[in-house]
Amino acid sequence: MLVRDCMTRHPIVAPPTMLAAEAQHLMHESDIRHLPVVGDGKRLLGLLDRLSFALDPGALPSLDMWEIARHLSRLSVIDVMTPAERVATISPDRSVERAARRMTEQKLSCLPVVEGGVVVGLLTKADLLNAFQVLMELPAEGVRVTMRMPDRPGEFAKLTAVLGRQAWSVMAIGAYPTPRREGFYDAVVKICGISMDEARAVLSQVQGQEVVDIRDAW
Amino acid sequence: MSTAPVLKVEDLAVAYKTRGGDVPAIRDISFEIARGETFGLVGESGCGKSTTAWAILNFLGPNGAVQHGRIQFQGQDLLGRTADELRRLRGDQIAMVYQDPMQALNPSLRVGEQMKEVLTVHRGLSNAEATRRCIAMLERVYMPDPAGILRRYPHQLSGGQQQRVVIATALLNDPALLIMDEPTTALDVTVEAAVLDLIAELRRDLDTAILLITHNLGVIARTCDRVGVMYAGELVERAAVADLFADPQHPYTQGLLRALPRLGADKADSALYPIRGRVPPPGNRPPGCLFAPRCDYTQERCRVERPALRPLPNGTCARCHFAEQIDPAAWTPRADLAPPPSQTAADGGAPILAAAGLKKYYPLPGDSLRDVLGLGQKRFVHALEDATFAVGRGTTLGVVGESGSGKSTLVKTLIGLEASSGGEATFLGFDLTDDLAGRDAALIRELQMVFQNPDATMNPAYTVGYQLARPLRRLGVVPKSQVRAEVIRLLEAVRLGEGYLDRLPRQLSGGEKQRVGIARALASRPELVLCDEPVSALDVSVQAALLNLLLDVQREFGTTLVFIAHDLSVVRYISDQVAVMYLGEIVDIGPAEAIYAPPYHPYTEALLSAIPVPDPTAPPQRIRLAGPAPSAVDPPSGCRFHTRCPRRHLLPDGGRICEADAPPWRDAGDGHRILCHIPLATLRALPPPAH
Repeated sequence: MLVRDCMTRHPIVAPPTMLAAEAQHLMHESDIRHLPVVGDGKRLLGLLDRLSFALDPGALPSLDMWEIARHLSRLSVIDVMTPAERVATISPDRSVERAARRMTEQKLSCLPVVEGGVVVGLLTKADLLNAFQVLMELPAEGVRVTMRMPDRPGEFAKLTAVLGRQAWSVMAIGAYPTPRREGFYDAVVKICGISMDEARAVLSQVQGQEVVDIRDAW
Repeated sequence: MSTAPVLKVEDLAVAYKTRGGDVPAIRDISFEIARGETFGLVGESGCGKSTTAWAILNFLGPNGAVQHGRIQFQGQDLLGRTADELRRLRGDQIAMVYQDPMQALNPSLRVGEQMKEVLTVHRGLSNAEATRRCIAMLERVYMPDPAGILRRYPHQLSGGQQQRVVIATALLNDPALLIMDEPTTALDVTVEAAVLDLIAELRRDLDTAILLITHNLGVIARTCDRVGVMYAGELVERAAVADLFADPQHPYTQGLLRALPRLGADKADSALYPIRGRVPPPGNRPPGCLFAPRCDYTQERCRVERPALRPLPNGTCARCHFAEQIDPAAWTPRADLAPPPSQTAADGGAPILAAAGLKKYYPLPGDSLRDVLGLGQKRFVHALEDATFAVGRGTTLGVVGESGSGKSTLVKTLIGLEASSGGEATFLGFDLTDDLAGRDAALIRELQMVFQNPDATMNPAYTVGYQLARPLRRLGVVPKSQVRAEVIRLLEAVRLGEGYLDRLPRQLSGGEKQRVGIARALASRPELVLCDEPVSALDVSVQAALLNLLLDVQREFGTTLVFIAHDLSVVRYISDQVAVMYLGEIVDIGPAEAIYAPPYHPYTEALLSAIPVPDPTAPPQRIRLAGPAPSAVDPPSGCRFHTRCPRRHLLPDGGRICEADAPPWRDAGDGHRILCHIPLATLRALPPPAH
């Protein structure tokens, strides 16, 4: 799965002429937490998030209410946004895990997806969590089995051979090194159209592998 | 991920300022379009569909103004924006595709320059990069040879290709909202099918929200998720597409569906019921329910109280006081709307029109010096090739085919607007291939024509009465003293009254003008009337009324009709015999029932499966004709259809015989003849297109 497959296309964007107050209202009304600021041709100029609107008291001549109102009424998105050169972005052709890594490493909650300087989408934490569900085909019903197998070539083929013999249809597969046990891999397989008992009966017969978890998932 | 709609229109009202005061065009329009959703707006002409689209783009013109309401795009109000902000939005995030692709393209600029401008001006891309993207986008819309297309001028492309270029241009900036105003109306049914497939695919891939405006319910069924039905400037029903077709709530929607010709198995269940009356003009709308004057369920409350668009138990919204009580299944046509009983004389009497090997070639002027000196080889457009058919007295021959298939040439050759280049055509013993100037008045009297565009065929300066009286006088049909009485009789025959005598064409609606056109063709009491697409410019409800009128007239006067249409369901409804034309040749001819049932000629099969079926549950058809029709200057060798035939592979050797030899006529029985190499048994075994 690539970024272009899971990003939000056509995100709501703000023109640089928009007032900060207006942008704040727009984000609130549309229930969004990130608002890219774009110029002509959807070129990325900057990014607004909820923190952009935190007022710096030092920027005000005084804390008089009228003074604050005057200041706010002149504030445009350009003044409060994180400028493009300081915004981490990602290309739509990167893999989704690479995007996730960038977001966890830099503690970002959102990456504008940029192609040739032009905003083509937005990748937020919510999009990644959605992608995660899609990878495991979550809303669909099926039996979810976790198989533990030694980390050596041919083990996974043994499992797929069994699945193939049964002519079961596999909806999703995920594999990862078993936590806290070196030399093993756990493979999560989601199969549709069978019962849990059927799955257990067949898969427990796979030589050298172990069913560590089995459950109905939907 | 936000769930806010891309476009949200609330209580929109638009009025046009005229000298007579403000004319309200639309009012109380509300709908939403979510990301990646297609919302259809459907209704007859003059219902405010396009005004709604223009209001969204603020293209209302100097005299149009939004009176109240809100239009929100991506959470931001579109109304009250400065011209500069709107320009940026339109360029970057909203794109529009219009009905006529030729009007959207600049004829004096190469396609490439027009497409690249979007990227170089709006995005500041370099020329090379812009070219690369344009080529990629043209490939995306399945244009053959995209690099070559960029170097061409718009007039060098076919209609379908032009519309693809327009769609590709609209998508270059990856808009969040795409507004399409009748994008396929100007296209042939086969091209339309391909463009509709393309729209559905692009929406899926690019997540673009689409507002699709059309008068064709079949297009709605094929492409939309939700639909709004407009009537006289109001939204009268808003529903998911499946609900709208399965269980229409508003009487107007029900009427529209009943007026739609369908490809039913037999004529009896494809009866058409027009909606009586016509859409009230914006300045003169009734105070209560706008549809009340035409509705079959009108009660006192409908005349005084304006209904609101209210939600109904099944999740749709309808603007009707009595939506819950109305049961469309219990509807019976009023006596004056009942369709004429179907024709009994399928084979009619003796043939009155017969053609054998009729040909029409147009010489093609060459531009080399040899050609100018007359030394070059003469080249011809083979517009009509070996047309052989016979039409019985009092029956109807329907002629269908894509544009450029020679339908109109056939009719023009018969009526004498074009001299034929070979073959025979006889009509009541007259030879139609004779010198045109020598045709005598008796023949002209018996052979009349109804044209496609009633506007272009009536003189705007003369009254209806004068225009009808003229042929009566010229041809001496009745004595001078009886001309007026005869004109009134003609007007009554086409269900118009004496009151139309002194009207000018501009005071008539499209349907009324076409009725006058039919009356004028009938004036000389002809034996044969040639109709060249007489209903294709009209709305479905009007079209239904005119088709029924033609059937009535035919029964009353025993007139024989040759009826050209590109709409196969219309031809199905009116014809006894159908001829399918491809590139100047009749490829499939026979009784209407036989044409619309297996075995099909592969071309007929492709035409049938290209029709957008007004039923969202119909399985999608996968037979598509590849590419545009080849040129009639050098028609393909062997079978003319072999370059696009989807069934050629059924023959051994990949159908090499189709390229080499002209196909034989195969007799499928009952007078049904198919021009194809594929044996009838194979054609019969093909699954029929679902309708």
